[in-house]
Amino acid sequence: MVGYFLRRLLLVIPTFIGISLLVFTITRVVPGGPIERLMTQAQLGGETGGLTRSQSSGSTLSDEQMEELKHYYGFDKPLLAGYAEWLGKVIQFDLGTSTRYQDPVWDIIKERFPVSIFYGLSTMILTYLVCIPLGIFKGMYHGSRFDSLSSAVVFLGYALPSYVIGIALISAFAGYFDWFPLGGFVSDDFAEFGFWQKTTDIFHHAVLPLIAYLAGSFAVTTLMMKNALMDNMSADYMRTATAKGLMRGEAIRGHALRNSLIPIATSFGNNISLLISGSFLIETIFNIDGIGLLGYEAVIERDYPIVMGILVISSILYLVGNILSDICVALVDPRIRFGESRT
Amino acid sequence: MSSIVNRSPEKAQAKPDACLSVSRLCVSIRDPEQRDTKGRPLSSEMVSDVSFTIAAGQTLGLVGESGCGKSLTAMAIVDLLPKPQVYQSGGEISFNGQRIDSNDPKALKALRGKKVAVIFQDPMTALNPVQRTGQQIEEVLKLHFPKMDKSQRRQRSIQLLNDVGIPSPENRIDAYPHQFSGGMRQRLMIAMALAGEPDLLIADEPTTALDVTIQAQIVALLKKLQQERNMAMLFITHDLALVSQVSDHVVVMYAGKIVEQQDVPHIFSQPRHPYTKGLIAALPAAVARAPKTKLDAMPGQVPSIDAMPTGCRFANRCEYANERCEQEAPELTAHETGEISCHHWQTINEASTSGVSKNV
Repeated sequence: MVGYFLRRLLLVIPTFIGISLLVFTITRVVPGGPIERLMTQAQLGGETGGLTRSQSSGSTLSDEQMEELKHYYGFDKPLLAGYAEWLGKVIQFDLGTSTRYQDPVWDIIKERFPVSIFYGLSTMILTYLVCIPLGIFKGMYHGSRFDSLSSAVVFLGYALPSYVIGIALISAFAGYFDWFPLGGFVSDDFAEFGFWQKTTDIFHHAVLPLIAYLAGSFAVTTLMMKNALMDNMSADYMRTATAKGLMRGEAIRGHALRNSLIPIATSFGNNISLLISGSFLIETIFNIDGIGLLGYEAVIERDYPIVMGILVISSILYLVGNILSDICVALVDPRIRFGESRT
Repeated sequence: MSSIVNRSPEKAQAKPDACLSVSRLCVSIRDPEQRDTKGRPLSSEMVSDVSFTIAAGQTLGLVGESGCGKSLTAMAIVDLLPKPQVYQSGGEISFNGQRIDSNDPKALKALRGKKVAVIFQDPMTALNPVQRTGQQIEEVLKLHFPKMDKSQRRQRSIQLLNDVGIPSPENRIDAYPHQFSGGMRQRLMIAMALAGEPDLLIADEPTTALDVTIQAQIVALLKKLQQERNMAMLFITHDLALVSQVSDHVVVMYAGKIVEQQDVPHIFSQPRHPYTKGLIAALPAAVARAPKTKLDAMPGQVPSIDAMPTGCRFANRCEYANERCEQEAPELTAHETGEISCHHWQTINEASTSGVSKNV
């Protein structure tokens, strides 16, 4: 089985090349880019500054300057050569320099990590903490009033887009009632706070965005848990367990529960990538400086090195997460033995 | 009709040698979709007035075609009906003279697995796929022999696996169910059932999912173990030939009711009910009468649960049926070798004393 997972890891390489090449090509062919942005800036600067209008033509830059800029951003090379150069740098952990901030991409992304990981991790932990017990309870008391009511709530959260929930929460609890801050990750005078104050400040800011993040994520996992448990509760081996003399609760705990966690384990690895990717809509609404917001702004501003940098990290996480999922499944389900012929 | 049951202890102990006594058992299914005029869910009776007893060391064969209520009867004994949709709607079950009360979880816990063990039809699904076999057997020991320590439980499990004929049990005890073949898995089920040292073993079509050679092995194993332990056994099957090998006594069920009950020699030499005769006539002979002869088959089908006739339930398929059969349900009547539920059993038997009626 180790061999199988090694093969899977090796397959990450071609998959990664495929993904990044595709996005790299898109960044080359779509209109608008760092040069055009610079040109607009130069134009605006020229007009407001009222200084020399360097060229008489429509363009504010000379052809040589254009060539220079193209060379600076690597746009003078053909697509594949440019991609190869980019990939060569990525292998050396050099993600390039942001065309907007003029800082190394890796430093910019690294700066946002704590925020994204905080939200990603708390979303993940809270999701499992709520969904697994809730799913178990709903499965055991299927058809009860609590079951129907919680289903209604969970599906309402699922059906409402998270940004709608976000906006509604802000206008209600930050605008009308003023219970929570309007946005941001921490207060402006965060640096002056003591440790305890810092912690409460973070959580005070986190309440509304977390609700917006979580509202939609309960439905899938809860229902997955509930359905898996109900499937297993009606399985023949549960009847066997009862025939052995186990009471219902004991039989569920001893037999059905572990078997119903298998599908949850399957989805575990995929959540790893959610850890950092975040949701740019929620980050935009709450003005949280996370990776989601960074990526969104980078796309709008055509800051391609950052777009590609985020892509590198999230796609690798996603690919590794998939393998992690398979490892989890193999760990919890003895019937699964990857890459071995069945005996 | 079955709501009036005699619950006095004298009645339950009427046959002191009886290990299991089932009296006038009724099992009903509730259809939540359909309601009666008072808004209560409609119930239909799946098993009606089933009574039988099994003595220690004896085997009772419960025979009938699919859907006639055999398994429901068995599941009712250990209160394993899929409640609340299916429930015991009447009658009484006593075990060693004690009435089984489905509202007493403690008593049920002590009964299941310890006094009465069950072997299910499909060993593929009846075992937990993600637990090692040892763990599944040891669970029974843990429940019913709390004084055993861990190593004793393991020793006992290995011994049980050995008893049911699993080769190199000390290695196989840590294997998972999917690593066993179908026949071996049924042996695991048997080992698990025997772990509680039960007085009664309910075998619910234990060999139906297995091929014929394995079937013979499993039946021989069950017989051997039963004799060693002097267990009572309720053997459920649709296979009459199998019943003749295992059982001392046979109860034939049709559409939820007992139609005939006799001991094994008599049920084959003198089947009295037209249905039993039909079943026996439909048996393929091991030594063929002539090659490629057509098997006798009973025409028609079991009436469906919502179209159960008021009279004899077998009337629509019976060649002896007349107006009386269609209107009046026959009672189970005792005769010198057993019981029968047929209006015409005396006249039929006069007509064909030879036993197997070829015309049925």
